[in-house]
Amino acid sequence: MRWAIAGLLFALMVALTLATAALRADNVRARKRVEGVVRALQDRKVELTRLSMKRLDSATPQHLAELQWRWLQREAQRRAGGEQ
Amino acid sequence: MTPGELLRLRVAFGALGAVPVFLAGWLGWLQVAQAGKLERAGRDPLPLVASTADHQGWRAERIPAPRGSIVDRHGHTLAADCATYDVRVRAGVPPEMLKDVAPFAAWRRKLAEDLTLALVADPEIEDRPGVREKALARLTKEFDRDWKVAALPATGAFPEKHPGVVDVLLASGVDRLAVIEALKRLMRSGYPTVSLDFIQTYQRVYPDRELTHGLVGHQKSEWVPDEDGGRHLRISGACGLETFAALDPDDPGLRRFLRDGRGGRYFVAPVEDAPVAAVLHTTIDLELQRAAVRELTAVAEAPGKSADGKERRPKWGALVLVEIATGDLLAAASWHRDQKNLEGAAFTPYQSLFEPGSIVKPLVLAYAREVGALDWDHVYDCRSHLRHGVDYDRTILPLGRRKAVEDDHDCTDLSAHGILVNSSNIGAALVGLQLEREQWQDYMKGYGFGATLGLHLPYESCGGHNKSSFDPGIPLRSFRANSAISFSFGYELNVTALQVARAYLRLFRGLGAELRLCRGLELDGEFHTVPPRRDTGPRFRDEVLRDVKAAMIDVVSDIEHATGGPLRRDMLAETGIDLHGLLGGKTGTAASRVGVGRGVLKQVRNASFVGFLPADEPRWLAVCVLQRDDSAKFYGGSYAAPPAARLLLRCQTLAERWQLHQESRNGAGGQTRLGSATPGNSGWSDAAGAAPGREHR
Repeated sequence: MRWAIAGLLFALMVALTLATAALRADNVRARKRVEGVVRALQDRKVELTRLSMKRLDSATPQHLAELQWRWLQREAQRRAGGEQ
Repeated sequence: MTPGELLRLRVAFGALGAVPVFLAGWLGWLQVAQAGKLERAGRDPLPLVASTADHQGWRAERIPAPRGSIVDRHGHTLAADCATYDVRVRAGVPPEMLKDVAPFAAWRRKLAEDLTLALVADPEIEDRPGVREKALARLTKEFDRDWKVAALPATGAFPEKHPGVVDVLLASGVDRLAVIEALKRLMRSGYPTVSLDFIQTYQRVYPDRELTHGLVGHQKSEWVPDEDGGRHLRISGACGLETFAALDPDDPGLRRFLRDGRGGRYFVAPVEDAPVAAVLHTTIDLELQRAAVRELTAVAEAPGKSADGKERRPKWGALVLVEIATGDLLAAASWHRDQKNLEGAAFTPYQSLFEPGSIVKPLVLAYAREVGALDWDHVYDCRSHLRHGVDYDRTILPLGRRKAVEDDHDCTDLSAHGILVNSSNIGAALVGLQLEREQWQDYMKGYGFGATLGLHLPYESCGGHNKSSFDPGIPLRSFRANSAISFSFGYELNVTALQVARAYLRLFRGLGAELRLCRGLELDGEFHTVPPRRDTGPRFRDEVLRDVKAAMIDVVSDIEHATGGPLRRDMLAETGIDLHGLLGGKTGTAASRVGVGRGVLKQVRNASFVGFLPADEPRWLAVCVLQRDDSAKFYGGSYAAPPAARLLLRCQTLAERWQLHQESRNGAGGQTRLGSATPGNSGWSDAAGAAPGREHR
C-alpha cells in the first residue's frame, strides 16, 4: 500500500513539475506579449506626437491662409479654363 | 505479491528515487564544489553560479528625458521635444554563407533594399523614390565599408578573421508608425541574423517658428540636409528662452526587461522614474505675436525700392507690446532687411540699439515735474535763436553749445503740455537744463537706461549714455551745454525697444517695475508661478501721470503741429476709428551716426513711437522702432506709429473677445463650465493686476 502511495506521490510530483513548467512557459509567453504591447504603445505615442505637431502646424492662420489662397488660385484657373 | 515481484518493484522505485538524489548531488557538485569565477579585465570576477546565468538575460534600457517645452500664456506650444527613434541595424552573415560567400553580395543588396523600402513605407512621405534612393546608396556604402567587401573573396568560405557582424545607423528621427511597423515586420520575416534597435530619442520642434525665432531662440547647432543630398550647418550657439537651465533634460529613466537566447524580449517592469519634461510658461501671446510680426513686416516691406533702384526699406525694425498691470511681454517682433538666416539675425527688440529721440520727452518732463524742476503750467518761449527766442538766448545760447538746438517746425510759446504735443526740442532742452547732473544720473538709473532688462536673455545689448557723459572731469558747463540738452530730446543715449518699454512701464507703475517674460514653470505636474513684481518702487504722483497722459493723448490729435496727427488721420481713413482720446502716444525721429566697422560712420534715421491704450486707464503699451540707413525723411508719426497703433487696437479686440467668451460661458441661465477659466490661465489679468501668490492649474 505504501508503495502505491509513494508511486502516486511521485506521479503528483511529476505532474506538479509539468504544471509549473507549463505555467512558467505561459508566463513567459504572456510577458513577451506584454512586451510587444508596450513597444507598440510606445510606437503609437511617437506617432501621436508627430501627428499632433503636424495638426498644430497645419492649423496656423498662416497655413490656412496659404491653403485658401491655393484653392482660390485653383478655382480661378478652373473658371478661366471653362471660359476658354 | 510474490517476493520476486516485490523485489523488482523495490528496485524500480529505488532507481526512480535515486534520480532526484543524483540530480541534487550533481547540482551541489556543480554549484558548490565546482563553482568558480571567470576573471574579467578591469572588472570584478564573474561568479559562475545559477544567479549569474539568470542575470545574463536581464537588460535595462535608458529612456532619455525630453527637454522642457515652452508654451505661450494660453498654453500653445512654442517649442517641444517630440519622441523619435534612431534605428540601428545589427546584421550578421547568415551561417550558410560562412561556408560559401558567393550569395552574400546578393543577400546584402536585398537586405539594404528591403530596409530602405521599409523606411519609405508611409505613403505620406514626399518623393519616396528619391528618399529611398539616397538611403539605399548610403546604406550600401556603409555595409560595404563595415563588412570590408573589397577584401572579401568572390567564392569560397567566409574568411575567419573577417568582420562577420556590422552595426550601422539605418535612420535617425524615425517617427512614422507605418515605417516603424514595416521595419518590425521585416525583422519577423526572413532575416534571422539581423536585428534592429529602436533607440528612443527626441527631435526639437517649433510650431509657428517664423514668429518666435528671437524670443524662443534655439539651443544648438544642427546639420540640415540640402536638396542635393548634402547638408549644411544651420545654427550656431544658443539664444532666447531655450538657454534657460530649467529646460535642460532631467536624468534618464530606466526600463528593465529580460532577453532570451534568441534576443526575444520579456516584459519585466514599466519605466522607473519616468522622466517628465518641464514646461516653461511664458507671457507671450501667440495671437498678438503673430499680429506684431505681421504689422512690423507690412510697414517695413511697404516702401520697397524707388524707381532708380534705391533701397527705401528700413535697415531694421522692432515692435514690442507690454501689459502694463503685470509688465508681461505679450509680443516682440523683429525685422531685418535682406535677412537670409532668421536664426542668426539679431533680435532687434533687445539687441539693436538706437538713439530714442523725442520718445523720451514724456519721461524727461515727468521726471522733471516729479523732482520739482518743472512747473507744468509755466510757458516757455520755444522760438529758436534765429527767431530771437528769449528763453533760448537767455538759457541755451550762453552755454556755448556748438550745434544749435532746432525744432522741425517753428514753435512759439509753449507749456509743458505744448512741448510734448509739438515735440519741441528747444522746449525739452529748456526743461532738461533745470535738472542737475546728479538728477540726470538718477533719471538714467530710475528709467533703467543702460541696465539689463533682467529677462536673462543672452547677448542682450544694454546701451546707455556715453561713457564720458557723467565723467566728473567734465565741467558742469560743458555737461549742461552738451549732455543735459542732448538727453532732453533723446540723444547721447542708446537704448533698445524693450528698454523704452520698460522705461514707460516704470513711468506708469513705479521706478522698480520690471518686464516679465516667464509666468511660471511646471515641474512634475506642479505649477510654480513667477509672480509679477508687486513692489514696483517709488511711483510718480497721480497729477504728474495725469498731465503726461493728457499731453500724450493730444499728441494723437488734430491740434496743429501735433506729431501724431498723421497717425490719427490715416487710421481714421483706414479703419474709421478716431484715435484721439482712445490712444495716447509719443512720436520720435532721430538722426544719428552709427559705426559700421573699420571706423566708418554712417548716417541713420530712427522713426519711433510709444503708444498706450486705453488712453484714460492704460492697459497695454507698444513701442515701435524702425531704422533707415540713409538721410531720407523718415518720421515716427508716419512710419513707426501705425503698426504700434494697429497692434494696440488688435490687443483690445482680442481682450473684448475674451471677455465676451467668458461672459457667454458663465452667463446666467447657461451652463457654467470651469475648465480653462482658472486664474493665470485666462491670458488677461484684471485691471488691478494679476493675483499674487501661487497659481493653481
